[in-house]
Amino acid sequence: MSAPGHAIDPPRRGPRDALSALLARVYALRWDVLPPLTGVAMMAMIVGALIVAPRELIEGELQRIMYIHVPSANAFYLAFFIVFVASLLLLWTRDMRWDAVARGAATVGVLFTGLTLATGAIWGKPIWGVWWTWDARLTSTLILFLIYSGYLLARSTSDVNDEQTARFSAVYAILGFLDIPIIIMSVRWWRTLHPQPIVFRGLERPAMPMEMFVVLLTGMAAILLLTLWFIVLRTEAERLAQRTESLRAAIDRREAP
Amino acid sequence: MESNLDFLFAGFAVFWAGLFVYILLLQGRLRALGREIEQLEERLDETEGRPAGR
Repeated sequence: MSAPGHAIDPPRRGPRDALSALLARVYALRWDVLPPLTGVAMMAMIVGALIVAPRELIEGELQRIMYIHVPSANAFYLAFFIVFVASLLLLWTRDMRWDAVARGAATVGVLFTGLTLATGAIWGKPIWGVWWTWDARLTSTLILFLIYSGYLLARSTSDVNDEQTARFSAVYAILGFLDIPIIIMSVRWWRTLHPQPIVFRGLERPAMPMEMFVVLLTGMAAILLLTLWFIVLRTEAERLAQRTESLRAAIDRREAP
Repeated sequence: MESNLDFLFAGFAVFWAGLFVYILLLQGRLRALGREIEQLEERLDETEGRPAGR
């Protein structure tokens, strides 16, 4: 209690509190901002990919698959990066909310890895003559898909509030993330059927005309927004699942003989 | 090279179908979890009025 006659000092807000408050304000906008922004960006992506982008000379119309295939790959990089960061934060803080974020992002990452593999196979069949080949880029991406499918399968059979399982899973997810640099570098380290990078090539300019590049960037922005929206929704579902388990445990304790 | 429009169509169809199926499943799960939480909270309120172990 403060001494009589002395005003109580207002609580001091450090930069960490200010950052938390800012993040909370940004996060509160997710329902108002993300869905409409994603919708507009996705519409722009479709129009850009199917109408605006010029026809490629060698592959013809089929090359337009690039505008969904490459952004899908970027989407799973982002999703698994979020899994990686959330898993580190879970191990550091032991706050189970990070486990919900990791599980939510892993689901979305697996979705986009699957879509990348599927659209790649459909693109590859007429160009390479095969649906699948054990090429370094394809194989390392398939391994990533299996790693995180295993993670989700293991999590689906365990209690969502089990902290020990969450910590073991976080270590597994962090180790699984090591496959991402291998995927990115695979086309440089090994001779592959998969094309070399055409957008992010260090200091070199993108290996495509500017109209194609703008459409591709629009697609990337759209799919990244969609990824964030899916991760937010999935994390909400995981938080609800945690709450459900807590309520069940409370009822069991109450009703136990 | 031929235009391969059927493959282009298949690629876009798989992509959009995947996204729509995922969002439908997610919406269903969110709804089911919301309902389950309501029911569990009601049950917890009911049990709070009773002595433990009944």
